[in-house]
Amino acid sequence: MARLELRGITKSFKNGAVLDGVSLAADKGEIVVIFGPSGTGKTVLLRLIAGVHDPDRGSIFVDGEDMTDVGPDHRGIGMAFQNFALFPHMSAFDNIASPLAARHMAAGPIREGVERVARLLKIDHVLAHAPRELSNGQKQRTALARALVGSPKLLLLDDPLRNVDAKLRFEMRLELPPLLKQSGATVLYVTQDYKEAMALADRIAVLIGGHFVQVAPPEEIYRLPENIQVARLFGDPTINLIDVTPQASERGVSATIGNTAILIGEQYRAAVGRASLLGVRPEAIKIGPAAAGAIAADVVAVTPLNERLVTLLKTGDGHEILASQPSSERAVEADSQVGLQFAHDDILLFDKASGQRLKAVNGAGLS
Amino acid sequence: MSSAADATVARPVRSRIMRRALPYVLSLPALLVCIGILIPFFTAAYYSMMRFRLNLPMMKGFIWFDNYIAFLSDATFWHTVAVSLVYAGLTVGLELVLGLGIALLLQKPTRFNNAASILLLLPLMTAPALAALMWKLMTNPNFGILSYLVSLIGVTDFKWGSDPSTALFTVVLVDIWVYTPFMMILLLAGLRSLPQQPFEAAALDGVPRSFVFFRITLPMLMPYMITATLFRLLDSIQQFDIIYSMTQGGPGDTLLVFQVSAYLEFFQFTNVGRSAAILMVLWAITYFLSNIFIKQWLKLRERTRGHG
Amino acid sequence: MEHVSPLERIVRGILIALVLVFFLFPIFWILLMSFQTNETILRIPPSLFFEPTIANYKALLTGRLETTAGNLDITFMRNLGNSVLLSTCAVLLSLLLGVPAAYAFARFRFRLGENIAFTLLSFRFAPPLLVLLPLSLYFKQLGLTDSYFGLVWVYQLICLPLILWIVRGYFEDISPDIEHAYRISGHSWLQTFTRIAIPLARPGIAAAGLLAFIFAWNNFVFALILASASKQPVTVGALAFVTASGIQYGQIAAAIVLSVTPTLLLALYAQRYLVEGLSLGAVKG
Repeated sequence: MARLELRGITKSFKNGAVLDGVSLAADKGEIVVIFGPSGTGKTVLLRLIAGVHDPDRGSIFVDGEDMTDVGPDHRGIGMAFQNFALFPHMSAFDNIASPLAARHMAAGPIREGVERVARLLKIDHVLAHAPRELSNGQKQRTALARALVGSPKLLLLDDPLRNVDAKLRFEMRLELPPLLKQSGATVLYVTQDYKEAMALADRIAVLIGGHFVQVAPPEEIYRLPENIQVARLFGDPTINLIDVTPQASERGVSATIGNTAILIGEQYRAAVGRASLLGVRPEAIKIGPAAAGAIAADVVAVTPLNERLVTLLKTGDGHEILASQPSSERAVEADSQVGLQFAHDDILLFDKASGQRLKAVNGAGLS
Repeated sequence: MSSAADATVARPVRSRIMRRALPYVLSLPALLVCIGILIPFFTAAYYSMMRFRLNLPMMKGFIWFDNYIAFLSDATFWHTVAVSLVYAGLTVGLELVLGLGIALLLQKPTRFNNAASILLLLPLMTAPALAALMWKLMTNPNFGILSYLVSLIGVTDFKWGSDPSTALFTVVLVDIWVYTPFMMILLLAGLRSLPQQPFEAAALDGVPRSFVFFRITLPMLMPYMITATLFRLLDSIQQFDIIYSMTQGGPGDTLLVFQVSAYLEFFQFTNVGRSAAILMVLWAITYFLSNIFIKQWLKLRERTRGHG
Repeated sequence: MEHVSPLERIVRGILIALVLVFFLFPIFWILLMSFQTNETILRIPPSLFFEPTIANYKALLTGRLETTAGNLDITFMRNLGNSVLLSTCAVLLSLLLGVPAAYAFARFRFRLGENIAFTLLSFRFAPPLLVLLPLSLYFKQLGLTDSYFGLVWVYQLICLPLILWIVRGYFEDISPDIEHAYRISGHSWLQTFTRIAIPLARPGIAAAGLLAFIFAWNNFVFALILASASKQPVTVGALAFVTASGIQYGQIAAAIVLSVTPTLLLALYAQRYLVEGLSLGAVKG
């Protein structure tokens, strides 16, 4: 039995945020990251699961029990909010102790529990302070401690690292996974940062347009995105999407870019003649000297981006392509002519009309 | 680690109906008070359309709008309207000017200015009825300090509240004493909350002070001024406490503003129908004004709450 | 740095002094009068220096007045007691009823709430006699004429809207997530309301309560119409005091001083919140 099950959750708000038939099953101890652009209802979904708001339709099951009508105080949940939501008139200690105090535990066990979690999150030295005396990083750790202290079955984290400075965010991205795994809770983690999603998730659930477009492990989302939107959301710089219409020839199925025909493989035969988008990630493109079989392109500009080098290229038929390489490699010169090549396996083909990725189904037609 | 609250504990299920009902339950008493206001209100509206005198109960009868039509040709009614409008206009106008002046004087947040503005609140905090009594004592012809002071500059026998020609002046004076601090405090808060940049820019450009005042300060202060003025207008046109305590509407009928007139109609002449009709006319005026006011007030509230 | 000419500073100082004199003098003078005997009061010209006496206050407090015309019983202390009782009960009741309602208006969007809020606000500006005169007839029918109970309920018309409009804003200022977090921690709605919402809104509740007390105390017309003789507060009682014959002017002054002092002291104590309260939350001090 799944620890958490959402069935057909539907909710609409006056400001338009809409969830339309959202379903998900999460296993015990799994970390599921809910990812999507802002305003798509990720926070709303989390609050529905927490019990703070009611869905218009649908149900929520925890360990097989229907929780849809149960109040947030009895769902066995821990939650950390984006803006921390610490109780301003209580010390950090009392904030963290709150879930334990609600269970009428004795002072001794409460103290032990709070100190244990505080040590884990490295805030045991600020427990006596009021929230306004804490730094943002300490506030977020306090919020996390409060969510974890009661050993909840379900942990809901609403973009907890959003309001924390970049350096601390990076540190916590390393600390969080072992912490979450150690707690044994099933975690639903909301974020808009795809790198965060990929770093933390066992599975990523991509929420677009009010429902989950794809729910899969990070690798799969990155290499086999369900549609154009998902492909664009992951990866920096964004995936290249080039208009092509696959042709069939005696050599096989091919797509023409910049006057060069690239073989794209038999599995795409059904796409012949259909307007499509060929997707290839910038890091998969190798820039070499102009050659037969390589796509001819002019180098427009070269820019460093973090630890990589990004090159903007333009093909003869006007397509703009981004290629990225480790900065240890030599950059090409602007205005030079080069040839682009990429491997078969790095090719993704999308139907232009629907945006769906054309999947190769063995033998049978394409989806 | 297992959680303390386990599945074996029965979970209380709050039904959706109970949760939907919560806001209604919480605001039930406020609703009761509302009803407590509306029932007498509709009763008054009903009575205003009747011929109803408490001392002549057998003559009680429904006469539709005859009371109101009778007003049109009734000199005392129009006198009431005139006095009320003059009273409201004088008090609010003078209080606005004075309040603005005092606010400008105390604009800088120094300790002295802050202390002064707190002290100036005291008249506002006295019951208007008691304020009228205070001034009644002060204007007493035998021992009143004001009568004495006025006699020093050669005006003997100034009758203050007991003379028709000076009664209005006296009550307006009391009203100004009580309510100018209201204007002052609202306008002072407004002045102190104005952004500094336009003034700094004007100072840098060497703009003359009068220009700054009329073209920068006043326009920015306008929302506060309008709100405060409407607030006071609404109260002033219904003034009862000060006038009743001072002269009970006299001498004669000099100060028979709306509510005083209605009160006397009810208790002195026991003419419930006419009294109710007077009040309904007043209500119509205040309803109209308050609609304008509420819009202004909400706008100002939005602004100072930092946009919700 | 502004350059203020010394002349301007002097003029400003004089003006402020004049303003302060105008607004504070009456209170000061009545205070002086309360310590004067009738002879001192009637003396012309009036002087600042005299032999003070506490006979006026003694007469009020003991309720007995000895004059040349004989002894008189003064019931002013009963009026004072009535004011204290009525104002305190009215404010406590309005807090009890109004704070939860303010919370409901702040947190929930429901049409009935908007209607209630609008009605209460619009009747803040409606003529009170419109409601009071019919009420006086109803009171007779319901037998409420000689009771504190009826008065305390009617005083809600003054206090409740104030509580609602001021406290609502304070509840709205609390981030809902804080309440959500407390509930998720395992606390019921009621616990969240009493341990999070109310403590965090405490300044607003205090301000509203103090202001409601001042307005209830200063009220005149409600008590004039609905209070029986034994239940009248000081505002009405003082007026009756003045018109009764044989009363000495010093005592009238003393009565006024006693009537006005509580609200003045409260106002000084709560002055931080007055701007906000007076503008019904439109302007923050």
